[in-house]
Amino acid sequence: MIVAMLESATDDQIQNVTDHLVNLGFAVHRTTGERQSILAAVGAIAGFDIREVELLPGVQQVHRISSPYKLAGRSFRPDGTVVKLPKGVEVGSNAVVVMAGPCSVESREQIMLSAEQVSKAGAKVLRGGAFKPRSSPYSFQGMGLDGLKLLRDAGEKYNLLIISEVMEMSQIELMEPYVDILQVGARNMQNFNLLRELGRVRKPILLKRGIAATIEELLLSAEYIMAGGNYDVIVCERGIRTFETYTRNTMDISAIPIVHKLSHLPIAGDPSHGTGRRDKVPPMARASVAAGADALLIEVHPTPEKALSDGAQSLFPEQFERLMEEIRMIAPAVGRSIA
Amino acid sequence: MPIPDLRKKIDEIDRKLVTLLNERARAAHAIGVLKRNTQMPIYEPDRERVIHDNVAQNNSGPLQNHELRQIFERIVDVMREIQKKEIAPVEHPGGPTELEEND
Repeated sequence: MIVAMLESATDDQIQNVTDHLVNLGFAVHRTTGERQSILAAVGAIAGFDIREVELLPGVQQVHRISSPYKLAGRSFRPDGTVVKLPKGVEVGSNAVVVMAGPCSVESREQIMLSAEQVSKAGAKVLRGGAFKPRSSPYSFQGMGLDGLKLLRDAGEKYNLLIISEVMEMSQIELMEPYVDILQVGARNMQNFNLLRELGRVRKPILLKRGIAATIEELLLSAEYIMAGGNYDVIVCERGIRTFETYTRNTMDISAIPIVHKLSHLPIAGDPSHGTGRRDKVPPMARASVAAGADALLIEVHPTPEKALSDGAQSLFPEQFERLMEEIRMIAPAVGRSIA
Repeated sequence: MPIPDLRKKIDEIDRKLVTLLNERARAAHAIGVLKRNTQMPIYEPDRERVIHDNVAQNNSGPLQNHELRQIFERIVDVMREIQKKEIAPVEHPGGPTELEEND
């Protein structure tokens, strides 16, 4: 932490701040400038609030240098994390994993057809919501446990792993036998009780970035899960709220390289929620691969015009096939392949 | 004086500085040992103020007082660390230090 004193700060004030920091346990290195003095405080103190120091008399500004997250930070695992899934699928290695499927499980026919289509096109994981967090209480809320069973059946038949969203703590135990990855929705990114519980689970978690969350907040939420002992966390960029209202969210592609620098955790791109419109999904999916995403999460529906949720952002099966061909050409340009 | 000669002069002065600094470090270390046995604090702002005052008093230039002060602040930091290690040889707990930049 760097404490910049005001040019008008007296020697007593500088001494007072120094004493304060020393008492907290920091090693303080003072540089007395001709006009302005700087204190460099070394030593990580748990639970320390820099505002305490900012309020001391004579202090101009305080800059924190270290990051508040440790387990999720890159220095914890400089070589990166590879999340190992069943069937030899890995997220975070060279091959980009594509997860695709409808927004929700609507019926046996729908999910089976969906699984067949995405599997043929090359996806490795089937997505589908059984418990849906809808903004309106009158919208379709999901098939629940039946939906989970259908997902598992579809996965088994078409050799796909399963990812589905868990909305609250009570659902974790229910869902574990049916899914390979538990998904935390954007609106639950700071549901700390849920994150804490998921930290105890020994199954990979896909953590979506909150609709107005900073990358630091996203990594701190990942830290919650990891602090419980579950290191298999994949974070996911799914668009953030900005002043631009043409799309429901603004896909923050830069989050992909930023997370790769700050953290060792793999990051997935969700261009479906990131744009909210079917015609914007392929360009953002291609961009995500080019930016280095470790996985993609894409909504595909056998008949999007008849979907019970998020139809406008779901791809037609042919669109998804074409997109898969395109990213197979893009991945090698950035030294990757499609799983 | 031409540059190569001036540089030789500087190198010779640096050699003397290194010798003197090491003598200073030995004295600081000895104080650390004595402090360990008497529980005196390592961080003594009043003593540090005396050190800087002495430096200013003995300064007849061309260096300015504040320039000397900056150099001595680094010297005192190192000496303080030497004493700290003597009193508490166990490494500080916790992860990366505040000065390890994350960017």
